[in-house]
Amino acid sequence: MPARNREQWEKTPDLKRGEWVDSRIYSDEEIFEEELQKIWKKAWIPLMHESELPEPFDFRTAIIAREPVIVVRGPDNEIRAFLNVCPHRGMAVDRRPAGSFLTGEPSGNAKHMTCMFHGWQFDMKGNCVEIPREQAGYQGRVTKQGQGLRRLRCETKFGGIVWVCLDDKVDCDVEGWAAGSLDCIRKSLDEEPLEIFHYHKAIIDCNYKLWHDTNSEFYHDYMHYHNRITGFDDGYFARKCAAFDNGHVNVGTFTVNYGEYEVADDRGELTFPHLPPNNWYMVDMFPGVNVNLRGSAVRMDLMTPLSANKVMIEFRGLGLKSDSDEVREKRIQHHNTIWGPFGRNLHEDLVGIAGQGVTMMPNSDPRRILHGRHEGLYIHDEVGMRHFYETWGKWMDRLPSDPSKKYEEGVVAGPEMPPARGIKSFPGKVAAE
Amino acid sequence: MSTNGTEMVKDAIYQACLNLDEQKWDDWLGQCDDGFEYSVTAYSPEIGKKMKYLGLDHKELKDYFDLLPKHNTDHSPLRRHATVYSVKVGDDGKTAEAVTSFLITQEMFDGVNAPLDTGENHLFVVGKYHDKLNIENGQAVFTERETRIHTRRLDKGSHWVF
Repeated sequence: MPARNREQWEKTPDLKRGEWVDSRIYSDEEIFEEELQKIWKKAWIPLMHESELPEPFDFRTAIIAREPVIVVRGPDNEIRAFLNVCPHRGMAVDRRPAGSFLTGEPSGNAKHMTCMFHGWQFDMKGNCVEIPREQAGYQGRVTKQGQGLRRLRCETKFGGIVWVCLDDKVDCDVEGWAAGSLDCIRKSLDEEPLEIFHYHKAIIDCNYKLWHDTNSEFYHDYMHYHNRITGFDDGYFARKCAAFDNGHVNVGTFTVNYGEYEVADDRGELTFPHLPPNNWYMVDMFPGVNVNLRGSAVRMDLMTPLSANKVMIEFRGLGLKSDSDEVREKRIQHHNTIWGPFGRNLHEDLVGIAGQGVTMMPNSDPRRILHGRHEGLYIHDEVGMRHFYETWGKWMDRLPSDPSKKYEEGVVAGPEMPPARGIKSFPGKVAAE
Repeated sequence: MSTNGTEMVKDAIYQACLNLDEQKWDDWLGQCDDGFEYSVTAYSPEIGKKMKYLGLDHKELKDYFDLLPKHNTDHSPLRRHATVYSVKVGDDGKTAEAVTSFLITQEMFDGVNAPLDTGENHLFVVGKYHDKLNIENGQAVFTERETRIHTRRLDKGSHWVF
């Protein structure tokens, strides 16, 4: 077809429900703000791995939907999460990305979280244990007993991933939230403790969902030289996608022929427990989580949406805690070859979404974004995105193909997806199935 | 050409910067011993660990460079501003270790929004080269380079070594 005029360009595509979305879902600032409230403040969000807080009194900070969060390991070895907000005047209780409360700070005592501003102190369970000159200033009107931190729901689950939910009333736990999507790698993640070995981050001027889309579809392997030239074999095209409740999907395994890669070696010997040699599973969880077990190393992408057109992506690499130095070195090499900041694929993926961000800046003209590949659920089928956006539509009460309209129950093209169920307590929008 | 070891080491480090700035990968490898080991490392206070972002020997580096044209890459040039902080020449005058502080700037070209960004330079990475060299035949040859970077926010990253 020749290049199109405006009318042709803007014409609704002759495709079925789910096979395309309106780009305003990636660019509209009002929709973004709504997503923070309706999705990010309701969902279980993984924030880190437990090995980032290896010792009692270690802590780590994070952000969910603009809410600052602090995660601490208590002397009882329990990991707990709180809003990182002092109840006094709203100062961040701790300003660092990570550290230990084992030693004292200039404003406070060892083994306490201390707000440096006025010296209010909290124990590792979030109890307020010190208000300087409490009685003199408040005369019993404000007491330590009533000034604990805001506790958040927190679970350590699936290989030590730390999950936090801002909503106390969400009626499922992490197990229910995952809805079976992680079962394909569960035994591999849970067989023995994991340990983080890699961290770096990217802030990219694009909507967070564009990164999740990229992680959810493999058609973009055409962008990657190695995947395209040496990876497209029968095993690759036999990988099957599966959709789960709550908007999650996973991509089944196949055996990667690393021997055919240039600049890569076989990783069969170091393949994670319970995984056949050189196998590779990928799990994409709503609303923006990717857990990727590629033979000998786990990659975990966690996103912090910053605006309609800005996202922080944190990249983590994990091995087995029992690794010898030599084995760990190998795992790191395997991880970095593809996924490190100099890796052959990650850079290309990020350049790709940066380019999408350019065409979908806030207030740019709406366009149609196609999610319509059907290949019998095999690797280049775009069921992952169709499933995500049907769930997104239900949570947001907006139609992904026209977000100015309310969500309506409908049949998404393809027979393969479960209903777009969500948490039961989502007010009036997502019915319990 | 310098005649004392310290100056030979400095000459080699600055020439390496020029070669890397100009993406003369083979010329840079030509400054390195066949047993050369290269790594990019960083300490992450976020996870409390020293990390290795890249680790390649001479042959692997050659393979890595040869594959560059086959990858889709942000072509925004990287350029270094480097200062050799210290050079320690061994007692026998045949080996040396050096520490060089560097800033790497990126001249924006095609990686994000070319019509807006092209021509802008911004700070990309901060770090130090920790080099080991042999001094032989009147020149210093790299045997090991650890590029210790202080930057963990690498955004799109790069296919080009630092």
